[in-house]
Amino acid sequence: MSLLSLADVRKDYLAGDVTVQALKGINLTVEKGKFISFVGPSGSGKTTLLNLVGCLDKPTEGTVTVAGVEVNRMDRKTSAKFRGDNIGFIFQNFNLIPVLTVYENVEYPLIMVQDIALKARKQKIDDMLDRVGMADQRNKYPSQLSGGQKQRVAIARALVMDPKLVLADEPTANLDHDTAYKVIGLMHQMKKEFNTSFIFATHDQKIVGEAEIIYTMEDGLITKVQANGTAGGGIK
Amino acid sequence: MKNIIKISWRNLLRYTRRTLLTSSLIAVGVALVIIFGGIGASFKDEVIGTITNSNLGDIQIHKKGYVGSMDNLPLDIAIPEQGLNKIKSLLDANPEVKAYSERIRFGAMISNFAQTTSMRVTAVYPEKESITCPALTERIKEGNSDPKTFVQPGSIVIPANIAAGMNLKIGDDAVLVATNKDGSVNGVTFKISGISENILGPQGKDGYIHIDDAVSLLRIENGEITEIAVKLNDFDKLKKVYSRLKGELAQIPGKDSGKPAFEVHSWEELSPFSSIVKIVTLLILVVRLVLVSIVLISILNVMMMSVYERIGEIGTIASIGTPPSKILALFLTEGLLLGFFSALAGIIFGTGLLMIVAAAKLNFVFGMMKLSLSPQIPTAEIILSLIIVVVISALASLQPALKASKMEPVEALRHV
Repeated sequence: MSLLSLADVRKDYLAGDVTVQALKGINLTVEKGKFISFVGPSGSGKTTLLNLVGCLDKPTEGTVTVAGVEVNRMDRKTSAKFRGDNIGFIFQNFNLIPVLTVYENVEYPLIMVQDIALKARKQKIDDMLDRVGMADQRNKYPSQLSGGQKQRVAIARALVMDPKLVLADEPTANLDHDTAYKVIGLMHQMKKEFNTSFIFATHDQKIVGEAEIIYTMEDGLITKVQANGTAGGGIK
Repeated sequence: MKNIIKISWRNLLRYTRRTLLTSSLIAVGVALVIIFGGIGASFKDEVIGTITNSNLGDIQIHKKGYVGSMDNLPLDIAIPEQGLNKIKSLLDANPEVKAYSERIRFGAMISNFAQTTSMRVTAVYPEKESITCPALTERIKEGNSDPKTFVQPGSIVIPANIAAGMNLKIGDDAVLVATNKDGSVNGVTFKISGISENILGPQGKDGYIHIDDAVSLLRIENGEITEIAVKLNDFDKLKKVYSRLKGELAQIPGKDSGKPAFEVHSWEELSPFSSIVKIVTLLILVVRLVLVSIVLISILNVMMMSVYERIGEIGTIASIGTPPSKILALFLTEGLLLGFFSALAGIIFGTGLLMIVAAAKLNFVFGMMKLSLSPQIPTAEIILSLIIVVVISALASLQPALKASKMEPVEALRHV
């Protein structure tokens, strides 16, 4: 069974009086445990696609199925629960909660979304912070961290919920080149360790090479699909 | 819930200056309610205590129609002996009645043999009157102020203004001339045994004699009196006792009309000062309303700003799966915490100031009343203020919290 499938997905937006066609009929199937990249220029529809897959938005037409569940008919409460159970998010601007420490940011979804008991929670967080190399920064606040460190915390926050799928929208856009590679490398490593599928959108051609499958998008359509033979071959 | 409180608390501390300013505003509002409530209650108690304990009693009973003609002190609207006995048996059977005092009130002329002036005379049994109006003898500044004997047959207590105006001193003789209900005039010489302060203002001319002297002066042969003043064990039960007495007295019909023969009035219905007490109560209510407005506007403003400034963050927590109900709880708790702790600060501040006022014992003269304000900590007012602030905080936070919980994550994440 595929982890993700999109069938004839269209998404229109109203921009004032003008209808903008963000996605013009996407058909896509993703197997479990893949490391996938969507590339393309700004406005090509990458973020819109990720929003639909992440149950943050609904398609105008077509069907989005994630982990065997058709998600485009869910109400707000159900889709929130579905996201909490199945999908992790990594954002371009890290989106950590500024009033919480590194530890508390990773702890947040376990309390507010999954309601995990204290002992199990502590063990999971300690393990996750260790894996992303942030164990020694656990008591710092986001404002005390570098961009790369913040993104590591964001990765830990996404993975601590054991999601089937992690969506990352431009995860390296605010990082310098070396840090961007390290973050992508970490995501790749986590994908292997947790067998979690990663889908990230980027227009940074240099990090695209880490993906197993690269979908190129232009003007709301997938124009090219490329299996990357070098993917997973190491951090460049 | 513990974690929601923790995160909400941290969010409050995120904008320390704004939180402190809002908190200070609410705290000052609560403190004002407590201070005003405490001082207002003390003022009311003092005024009520002075009036009821000096002169009126808590409740008065008259023959039907007497209060409507009270300014003339009519002797022909009197409680007959038979009715008096019925009323006394009712009062004796009522456990809430501490004491009562029969009175004959009438208008008279007082003369020092050279000058004559008018005065109002209240004829009483001194022991009963002293228990019913325990502050009465405190007003007797010269002469015999013994509660049991302050008026004896043949003696009179006169007000200070008449004593000064007619140059009368303790031990002097004065003649009291009065007209009885049949229209015949009689005069009796009294020895001045006491000079009292005027309770009802500088024009108040109230004197006291023994009730036996009034019977003799007014040639009352059938045991009539004009008034019964009643003192309660617990003033807070005034309304209950008043209602009970009113019901019981309504069962005693008049001889001719068949309608109730007697009327009962609480001190509020008899004293013009009751309106001042009502104004103080109204002012306390206004201060409470101001507090409600302060809390409503402050919390609403802070929470709306808080939601607006954190739209992106709301998008983040919503996208990672936080249920709308928990987002609602987060913002609601934030508003509640702000209100609750601000109210606590206000309570501490207000109570502290009130204790200082109480320790200072503010004395002042209101009308002819010497009042001493020693406000108690208004526990009920404190609890009420806390409840008001918490409830209004919840209401004020509800709209912003609902707005946050209903945000579409994708829209919120787009917000910069």
